[in-house]
This record gives sequence, structure tokens and C-alpha cells, in this order.
Amino acid sequence: MERREFLRTCGTLITGGGLASLGGVLGSKASAVEGETMWQIDPERCLQCGRCETECVMRVSAVKCFHANQVCGYCDLCGGYYREGVKELNTAAENLMCPTGAITRRFVEEPYFEYTIDEDLCNGCGKCVKGCSSFGNGSLFLQIQQERCLQCNECSIAKVCVSGAIQRVPVGTAYKLKDHA
Amino acid sequence: MRNTVLVARFPKPDFTSGYQYPDVLHRVPMETFWSWVDVVLLVGMMGFVAWAVHRRRSRRAILAVSIVSVLYFGFFRTGCVCSVGSIQNVVLAMAGGDGYRLPLVVLLMFLLPLVFALLFGRVFCAGVCPIGALQELVNVRQWHISRAVTSALSFIPWVYLSFAILYAATRSQFIICRFDPFVGIFRMGGDVGMLVFGVLLMVLSVFVGRPFCRFLCPYGALLGIVSRVAVKRVKITHRQCINCRLCHHACPVDAIREPCGGKVAESRTIGTRRVALYLLLLPLLTVGAALLLQSQSDTLSMAHRDVWLYTQLRSDNPPAVLPAEVEAFHEMGRSMDELEASVVSVKESYRRLSAWAGALMGFVLGCKLVRLSLKRTRKTYEVDPSTCVACGKCFSYCPQAGRSTSQPMEQRAENGVYSNYPESRQRSSVAQHVNESTRFIKNSQHEEKHL
Repeated sequence: MERREFLRTCGTLITGGGLASLGGVLGSKASAVEGETMWQIDPERCLQCGRCETECVMRVSAVKCFHANQVCGYCDLCGGYYREGVKELNTAAENLMCPTGAITRRFVEEPYFEYTIDEDLCNGCGKCVKGCSSFGNGSLFLQIQQERCLQCNECSIAKVCVSGAIQRVPVGTAYKLKDHA
Repeated sequence: MRNTVLVARFPKPDFTSGYQYPDVLHRVPMETFWSWVDVVLLVGMMGFVAWAVHRRRSRRAILAVSIVSVLYFGFFRTGCVCSVGSIQNVVLAMAGGDGYRLPLVVLLMFLLPLVFALLFGRVFCAGVCPIGALQELVNVRQWHISRAVTSALSFIPWVYLSFAILYAATRSQFIICRFDPFVGIFRMGGDVGMLVFGVLLMVLSVFVGRPFCRFLCPYGALLGIVSRVAVKRVKITHRQCINCRLCHHACPVDAIREPCGGKVAESRTIGTRRVALYLLLLPLLTVGAALLLQSQSDTLSMAHRDVWLYTQLRSDNPPAVLPAEVEAFHEMGRSMDELEASVVSVKESYRRLSAWAGALMGFVLGCKLVRLSLKRTRKTYEVDPSTCVACGKCFSYCPQAGRSTSQPMEQRAENGVYSNYPESRQRSSVAQHVNESTRFIKNSQHEEKHL
């Protein structure tokens, strides 16, 4: 029993030393300043493949369409609002790009319209974003709504993102927007 | 890039009606605050469990912690980031490159349970880990699995761990997170396959204690190694064991080994020869498994997105509908040379790391064989510290009482000191229960004689 005790104490000391050195090595790699990381879409790389809508672990994706008003042209004929080649510019569902009716628009002054996204309705499909980038200023873009995001250890959208646009970023730079360009 | 070219296709409107741009504020949740709450709770709960296991010897306290853990870490924090998954973050940080900085909180999540395991045994598993706690709370029966089967199955966590390290170090994917069967239950939604798997595991854990912890959890494998040399070990009783076998029956994870004195029917030479053979086999297994896995490294590297994309691009008969990744590759204007360079470096790291992962598997297998063939000389029922999850179930089953008082058993029963007994039994006369259990002991000893 003496021998076994001795071996065990040696094992304890070796394991303790190992853990301490592992902690030291990792501590030098860890960053306290940046703190937690969050998932973010780089709107410059996003290709609106539509996977954000379906791959998120949440029932309604945490990815939402954001609108950079500073970039928007406030057009009447909006590529993100109306589908391509619609005959009449009215709000009938078959004319609208958004499948959930999350985009509303308000008349500002001739000929400008202000567009607003209802985040509760938006499902992150990115159809409007595609429309806006092919016919528009690209003011609509997809971004992760951090208050809804569960911050999975590995984002299940990032795993399948076709362009690798979803990356971990420090909390301080959680939102990459287009307004402040 | 593509989008920046499109900006200002339509000029910025000059409003005349005094229109003001709306002020949009995107709030960032208090993620940092909550993750520090996680760490504080993790330490507090592990300390509490350590106290409950080693001092108070109370299962009820551990169950209380389990409920708090399932509610807080499970349902409120939705399971991320957990210590089990943090292995991959640590490996990713160790592998370096790509600018991944390990958050301090994740580092603590990884290290603290290991430190506590070194000091007090697997107190993290006892009730602090929401996955273990969930299985513990639904566990009703203890169907015992034979030693041979548990030994074989307990090799799975090491395979899982090796692949998790391989895939995390090559920045392919986090398989522990991807195949986490319980995160879907905590989030009440998610991947259907994993949800079904989680529910099946839950149903199984009603009858068999903690199937995930024992036969799948890669972090449990690490904790098991560390707690084998723990400073303080879980003790069934502080008094003399009377070999009544009640604790053995009660243990949900088959961690209590029965005495084996006089049971060994094998001659010493044969036993020694077998241990020597396994010790010789150990390096062979290690090298063999390393080579075996290395030979498969090209297949394994398909888990990396660049390698997969490259094979899709280079495939001789491309599918009619191109995968979205291939279209994205062309749309983004990535050059083939860049992709090729990436593929070469990824494959190279796969060749190197799959050898290490294979070596780890082979080494563990060899060690397990050696350990299984070592001669044991237990005189009483003993806890195997590496598999014991410190759930405290055996305390209340031990008729020799949990606490280290010198009062004889019957007297303690009359004084009503048996607060450790399950509540249902407390309601009836405690003294009667003691009589019953002693009778059971006599019966079981009687049976043994006949056997």
C-alpha cells in the first residue's frame, strides 16, 4: 500500500504540474481584454445564398436584414422591395420581394420612400439583400442580431456559409454595418 | 469588392422636407457579464459539490445543484459555451494562426473543472455539468452493465476526443458541438437527428446511469484521468466496510468495484506474462494506430471546406446542379492557385495531426488493456476514482452510515441520525429499515455461500 500511495502522490504532482503549465501556456494565448467573442457576418463577403434562413439553430434565424439608411437611395422602384419585372407597383404580395412582409415603406417626399425592416418578421432569407445589391445601392444587408443570437460555440451557419463570411469577432466590434462606411 | 462597386449607383437623396435619418441603435447583449457569472457559478457550484461530497456527504445537496445547473447552464444559458466543447476552443488556440484568441472565460471553463477534479474528484460531473445533471435527474433504475462491456464502451470517448482534437486543430469543424445530443433539448429545437438522439439518450438514462457521460463524453475522459490521482477521493463510508454490496447495487455508473480477494483463479506467471505482453503491445498499438489513421488522412481531410471545395471543382463529372459553394467560389473570384495552396497546407497538417490522433487512440487502448490485466487485491468495496462521478448515491445506501462519527449503527438509527437515507424510507421507521438492510446483507451473504 505504501508503494501505491507514493505512486499516487507522484501522479498528483505530475498532473498538477501539467495542468499548471497548460494553464500558463494557454493563459499567454488567452485574451482578457477582448473578452468574449461573437459571431458576425461580413456584409462585404456575403453572397445571400439563403442558408442563414435555414441553417440557424433557432426556429427563426438570428440573422436579420439590416438597413443602412445613409446608403439607401430612397427610390420608389426599389430592388429590395419589389420583385423583378413586376407589372404594377403596388403592395400586393405577389409583387413584393420579402416573403414575410417584413419590409414596410413610408412616403417621405416626392420621389423618396423610407424603407424599414420589421425584425420580428424578417427570417433572414436575404432575398431583398440580393435584390438591393443587383438593383440598388446595397443598403440592405444581412447581419446577426446579437440579442437573438445564442452564440453557439460553433455557429451552424458559419459551418456551411458558402463564402466564409461568418467569423468570430470580439464583443467590442460585434456589428459590422454599412452606415459608417 | 462586389458590393462596394454598387454603392452610389443611385445618388443620395437631398431631402427638402427636413427629413432626418432615423437613429438605429443595435444593442449588444451583456455577453461578457453573463460569461463571468458562468465562471463564478461554476466555481461556486463545484466548491459546494465538493463540500457536499466530502464533508456533508449529502446527495440531496448534489441534486439541488443539478437542478440549478440544468436550469441555469442548460435552459437559461442554452448550453454554450460548455466545458466539454471548450476542449476544441483550447485546441484551436493551441494550433494558432487565423487570429483566434481564446477568450479568458473559455480557458477558465476548460481548466477549472480539471483543477477541481485533481483536488476533489469529478465534482464537475456530479451536478455542475448540465448534461450530466440532466441525465442524473431522470435516472431511476440502475441496470448494471458488465465490466467487459463498460470497458469496451469507455474507449469511445477517447476516439471522440481524438477526432475532436484533429478536426479542431485543422480548423475543420467542432464535432463535439455538432454532435451534442442535449443542446437541442436545452434550446427546445434544433437538428432533428440530434434531438432524436438526445431523447433516446434521455430515455436510456432512465434505466442506465449517465450513458453520455460514460460512453461518449470526451471531457469526462480527461476528468477521469485527472481524478485518478485526485488528492481527495470519494469515500463510500468513513467506517469499516462490511461488504454488504448495497453501494455496488446503487451506483449508477458501475464505479464501485467489488472485492476480489481469493477470486483470482489464474497462476501468477500467466498473469505476469499477459501484462508483459500488453506492455510490449503498447508501443506497437500506438504506432500502428498512428500509421493507420495517417493512411486515411486524405479521406479525413474532406471535412475541411477548402479540400471539399477543391475536390468538387476538380471532379470529372460535375453534378448538373452545382453546389452553392462552387458557385460562390466563382462568384467571389478566388483564384485556383490560392485554393490549391490552402489545400496542400491543410492536407499536410492532416497528415501530421491524424498520426498524433491515431497515436493517442492506440496508446489509450494499450493502457486500457494493461490496466484490465493488472492484478487487484481489494478486500472491500472500493470506488474507482476515474469512473466515479461523485453523484453521492452510495452514501445513503451504506448501512455503515456516511459521517465519521463513532456511534454504533443501531444507536444512530434510534437517535434518528440517518438523515442521509432517502426520504421515502425516512418516513417509515428508520430502525426498521436498518433491520431490513441487515437482513438483506445476511441474505446476500447466504446466497454467496451457496454460489
